[in-house]
Amino acid sequence: MKLAGLKSVENAHEESVWAVTWIPATETRGALLLTGSLDETVKLWRSDELVLQGTNTGHCLGVVSVAAHPSGVIAASASLDSSIRVFDVDTNATIATLEAIPSEVWKMQFDPKGTILAVAGGGSASIKLWDTATWQLIDTLSVPRPESSKPSDKSGSGKFVLSVAWSPDGKRLACGSMDGTISVFDVARAKFLHHLDGHYMPVRSLVYSPIDPRVLYSASDDAHVHMYDAEGKSLIGAMSGHSSWVLSMDVSPDGGALATGSSDRTVRLWDLGMRAAVQTMSNHTDQVWGVAFRPPGGAGVRAGRLASVSDDKSISLYDYS
Amino acid sequence: MACVYFHVQHSEEEVRVALDQLPLDANDILDILKAEQASLDIWLVIAREYFKQGKIQQFLLILKEGSSSDIDEYYSDVRYDRIAILNALGAYYSYLGKIETKQREKEDHFILATQYYNKASRIDMHEPSTWVGKGQLLLAKGDLEQASAAFKIVLDGDRDNVPAILGQACVQFNRGRYSESLELYKRALQVHPSCPGAVRLGIGHCRFKLGQLEKARQAFQRVLQLDPENVEALVALGMMDLQTNEADGIRKGMEKMQMAFEIYPYCAMALNHLANHFFFTGQHFLVEQLTETALAVSDHGLMKSHSYYNLARSYHSKGDYEKAGLYYMASVKESSRPHDFVLPYYGLGQVQLKLGDFKGSLSNFEKVLEVYPENCESLKVVGHIYVQLGQTEKALEVLRKATRIDPRDSQAFIELGELLISSDAGGALDAFKTARGLLKKSGEEAPIELLNNIGVLNFERGEFELAEQTFKAALGDGVWFLIMNDKRSSSVVDSEESSRRYCDMKLFQRLEDEGISVDLHWDKVTTLFNYARLLEQSHDAEKASILYRLILFKYPEYQDAYLRLAAIAKDRNNILLSIELIGDALKVNDKSPDALSMLGALELKNDDWVKAKETFRAAKEATDGKDSYASLSLGNWNYFAALRSEKRGAKLEATHLEKAKELYTKVLVQHPSNLYAANGAAVVLAEKGQFDVAKDIFTQVQEAASGSIFVQMPDVWINLAHVYFAQGQFALAVKMYQNCLRKFYYNTDTQVLLYLARTHYEAEQWQDCKKTLLRAIHLAPSNYTLRFDAGVAMQKFSTSTLQKAKRTADEVRSTVAELTNAVRVFTQLSKASNHHIHGFDEKKIATHVQYCQHLLEAAKVHCEAAEREEQQNRQRLEVARQVTLAEEARRKAEEQRKYQLERRKQEDEIKQVRQQEEHFERVKEQWKNSTPASKRKDRSHGEDEEGGHSENRRRKGGKRRKREKKVQYEIDDADNYEEEFEADDANTINNHEEDTNQMNDGDENTQDVLAAAGLEDSDLEDDMDEPSSTINQRRRGHWYESDEDEPSDKKLNSGTNTENVPEPESDGEFRDEMEAPDKDADEEDED
Repeated sequence: MKLAGLKSVENAHEESVWAVTWIPATETRGALLLTGSLDETVKLWRSDELVLQGTNTGHCLGVVSVAAHPSGVIAASASLDSSIRVFDVDTNATIATLEAIPSEVWKMQFDPKGTILAVAGGGSASIKLWDTATWQLIDTLSVPRPESSKPSDKSGSGKFVLSVAWSPDGKRLACGSMDGTISVFDVARAKFLHHLDGHYMPVRSLVYSPIDPRVLYSASDDAHVHMYDAEGKSLIGAMSGHSSWVLSMDVSPDGGALATGSSDRTVRLWDLGMRAAVQTMSNHTDQVWGVAFRPPGGAGVRAGRLASVSDDKSISLYDYS
Repeated sequence: MACVYFHVQHSEEEVRVALDQLPLDANDILDILKAEQASLDIWLVIAREYFKQGKIQQFLLILKEGSSSDIDEYYSDVRYDRIAILNALGAYYSYLGKIETKQREKEDHFILATQYYNKASRIDMHEPSTWVGKGQLLLAKGDLEQASAAFKIVLDGDRDNVPAILGQACVQFNRGRYSESLELYKRALQVHPSCPGAVRLGIGHCRFKLGQLEKARQAFQRVLQLDPENVEALVALGMMDLQTNEADGIRKGMEKMQMAFEIYPYCAMALNHLANHFFFTGQHFLVEQLTETALAVSDHGLMKSHSYYNLARSYHSKGDYEKAGLYYMASVKESSRPHDFVLPYYGLGQVQLKLGDFKGSLSNFEKVLEVYPENCESLKVVGHIYVQLGQTEKALEVLRKATRIDPRDSQAFIELGELLISSDAGGALDAFKTARGLLKKSGEEAPIELLNNIGVLNFERGEFELAEQTFKAALGDGVWFLIMNDKRSSSVVDSEESSRRYCDMKLFQRLEDEGISVDLHWDKVTTLFNYARLLEQSHDAEKASILYRLILFKYPEYQDAYLRLAAIAKDRNNILLSIELIGDALKVNDKSPDALSMLGALELKNDDWVKAKETFRAAKEATDGKDSYASLSLGNWNYFAALRSEKRGAKLEATHLEKAKELYTKVLVQHPSNLYAANGAAVVLAEKGQFDVAKDIFTQVQEAASGSIFVQMPDVWINLAHVYFAQGQFALAVKMYQNCLRKFYYNTDTQVLLYLARTHYEAEQWQDCKKTLLRAIHLAPSNYTLRFDAGVAMQKFSTSTLQKAKRTADEVRSTVAELTNAVRVFTQLSKASNHHIHGFDEKKIATHVQYCQHLLEAAKVHCEAAEREEQQNRQRLEVARQVTLAEEARRKAEEQRKYQLERRKQEDEIKQVRQQEEHFERVKEQWKNSTPASKRKDRSHGEDEEGGHSENRRRKGGKRRKREKKVQYEIDDADNYEEEFEADDANTINNHEEDTNQMNDGDENTQDVLAAAGLEDSDLEDDMDEPSSTINQRRRGHWYESDEDEPSDKKLNSGTNTENVPEPESDGEFRDEMEAPDKDADEEDED
């Protein structure tokens, strides 16, 4: 279990790169890397050489998140002005522009089947669900406010929803908020199930284990990564090692490793079996806002890849083996 | 049977006196002696006989009678014998004086002796035996010079006078001139070979002193041959045997001592040595018996000193320090000069140290050092005492000397290291490392304290890996590593309970249930704690927390572990748990200033101002105001109170500031090097507008703070930046903020980003300002104020662009885009305000939306105008282009024509040439010479080619020329364009001025609205928490002049103020200061 640097693109964007995801391979092409930046552009890169495939404009303010449909045909990018642009990956044609003012847009993810796009709705304290066929808002999953709100809660930041994650079976949706609580929803019944406690600082990244739909990982500004049994409502483990906020996180497709990116400028690889950090990459010179493992599939591509993006405007690609 | 005969007076008869049958009553004999007028030498013989038999009374009676005035008269011509009698008496009293222990009687005896000798001298002042006697007397009195003079007188008369030689030898011996003494003894033996063994004893002693041990031994053995019962020789030989320091020698020595003891049980020397022996064999009862006897029989100071020393040592080893001290003291008194016998000083020093009498102990050890200046043990002890007395400098000096003298003494290095910890960490580390190396070399195990100290020092130097290795070595194997590397440690906890995971002890109970013993020996607790601190420092808070909990599981009184757990919880923003843990710590000791201080900081974080103040007060009282942290916290409290009170009055503010300043100054007086206090004081100064002084202080603090890994003072960087900002040095301020963000916050602190944005704003770097704010939003998404500020920045950017005298259509277009964004931002904010309270007035936002929309409309006009203009320009350009094209076409045609002309001309020329050639050829053929025709053909071909080339070249040249021309045209066009643009611009500017007027109207409205909302007032006094109120006013004045978007500017101010709650100074300072006490705690632990 290790990472080996393959390629870095300095000044991949004109400004900080804030979002990254892989667009799965289609029959006609391999997987592509999708990045979004403060410079208001979204760029497509061909792996492994990280050749720039296309630059999408059209966003105002910075691009805060990107998401790819499991089919690899369409993708979505969202910016600080709270709008989402859904576009055709290969033609860059705009398919839809989604807005649910005053709900902002933070992290977003397509469900495993590709029928719903879940969007973390910021101050609206909810997850917005968009139908990917009609691009209509189909539901809003609201995070209930705790009955006795803590005195330390600053108004407005209470249940500000930042991050969202689908379970691999598509039945559950989890979201993380500014105050550190994680909420779990039953999607089919559109019902809030319970909170997961343990963090007291913003949870900026959530991801389910691809091999166990009960296991949820969370990354928080408290520099910790927690490991929850999201069904059993219990904390299985906590991993510390970053010296500052953990901004981003992704699980390897085999479910055995976790990659985290932090404002301490490092990317760490964690062995989930040992629950310990096995490697620290320090090639970035500023906050690492995104890490993403390449999904398996495509024309005979077996090798594991991890991409990371950073405030230093660069993209890095690693071999994961 | 020895007899004396003497003549009966006036007859031939003789009296026979059997010497062993002397009558008990000496008067009987006296009567006979007197009656028979026996010669005086008979008197002497009889007296001597009495003396030998121990009948001192009779001896004295006879001699006194023999020296009475009657006898003097009667025997007035028998000078020698009279002298002999007097001398005998003198010698006797000399001896009495010598052995007498009481000073007074001693004097009396000596006086008597002196009188007898003087009397003898009066009879014949040249009598050598008198002089010898006098010499002996002086010797006994210790008057070596005069004794020597007396003996010299004798020897001057008769250089072979044996008693005088022996006397002189004794003098020399006592003077320490052993070789001279030896020579004299040898002479005595030469002169009188059959003299008693005592002479050889002298030789033995001299040789011994001279270090000629073998010869000394021979001498003593000869004495024993002559007199097998000579105790002194036995003792001397025994001593020499003992000094061989070999088991065999010691045994032999002890045998000899025992023999001596059996022969004569009152020899103090033998007694002392025996006592010494029994001390080492542990038979303390015998030691006491022997030494008491020795003390009783000896009057010799040094000897007694030895005896007391033995006694003291015996008590010392039994742990009876009081008695031991008394006897050591007695021993010291007896010897009185440390050079003679230094051991009791050492012992006394030890006992006094044990009893806590540092000064006394110190003086005794110093005496030892006078004798043995290089005695490492004493040096170490002296160093230790200096440490106890707080005289660090002296202690250092002494210990350094000790390590220099014996570079293999690990203990000395350890002591030196411990001493250096507080002053010179590097030196301390070196010392400890040396000690560790020495211990390793000698195969000893390094004590855990040593390893702990090495670990801590490495830790403090930031060498975490070395520190970790050392701590691990110190801890050895144990349950801690099992727990840390065990998955069970991160046990499954219900997520609701997970918030309390830092006080969870179930883990250890479960381990015990599983039969794994959870042991933690007390001497490892400190190291374990330090190891946990190290883990914490390397950001492995989880493992650290397990170790802290392990410590608490076994030692629930270990307060520091609670505090660290609380600190971890606090770092993770779990305030309630943190407060709970502090509560546990306070249960251990409710007066602990560290715990109280931390509690205060937590309460402040929890917005519990009144409680926090109370807690800080309690902390201050708990330390009698000596703990600067509590005072500082109170100072900060007052400072914040001055700036933040909602209903602020100038008076209240001034009082709080004054109070803050007072507290900071107080701390500074106590601890002149307290960075935080200096920082605080400078903040107050800056608050009062004394920027230059404040800047100086900040700069100094910044320099001082960048030395240690434990001192993290981002505040001072921020403050310095604030000062630059307030003084209008924006570039410097930006740099300072950026450095601070990068150095201390991993660029994550939105508050500092906000300061940075504001500086950009003031410097009119709108895009930088906007980008900075966007970054801040990205970091703190729920902070709507930042969005508001971003909107304001965009609005301001737009207005300033529109105000510009010159701008392109692109600029105007981007302005429009920016305005659209601003409108979006404000609209979203106003919509969001329905959902939650984010602190601003809806009306205010509405005003902004209005304003921006208004501006947008205006901009659209601009934009249209600009676009129209651009259109016109484009058209004009098009026309110009067409003109150019036409021109070009014309020129091309012309050129073409020229070219063709040329070509034709060339062709003509070629034709001519060819014709000529042909003609020439024809002529040649006619000539029919030897040159082959083919060759010539070639050449002509080549010439053809050449011609083609040159043509090509020419053509190319033409092209180039053409292109240059084209470029020129384009430039001309551009010039035209600009001229026209400028001409048109006049209109736009006019338009714009109208716009601004309109905008001003809008401004007034806004201000009214603000005033209505009661916000304006606070705005005027509020500034961001940078100390720049006066500057602000100055700048504000400037803005009034420009009379442009005053509201936006103010909004940025007010906006930031609403988000002002976590003041950077507060936050940083508490965090940092909390580390400081912990570090202190660590250091205490090391001891």
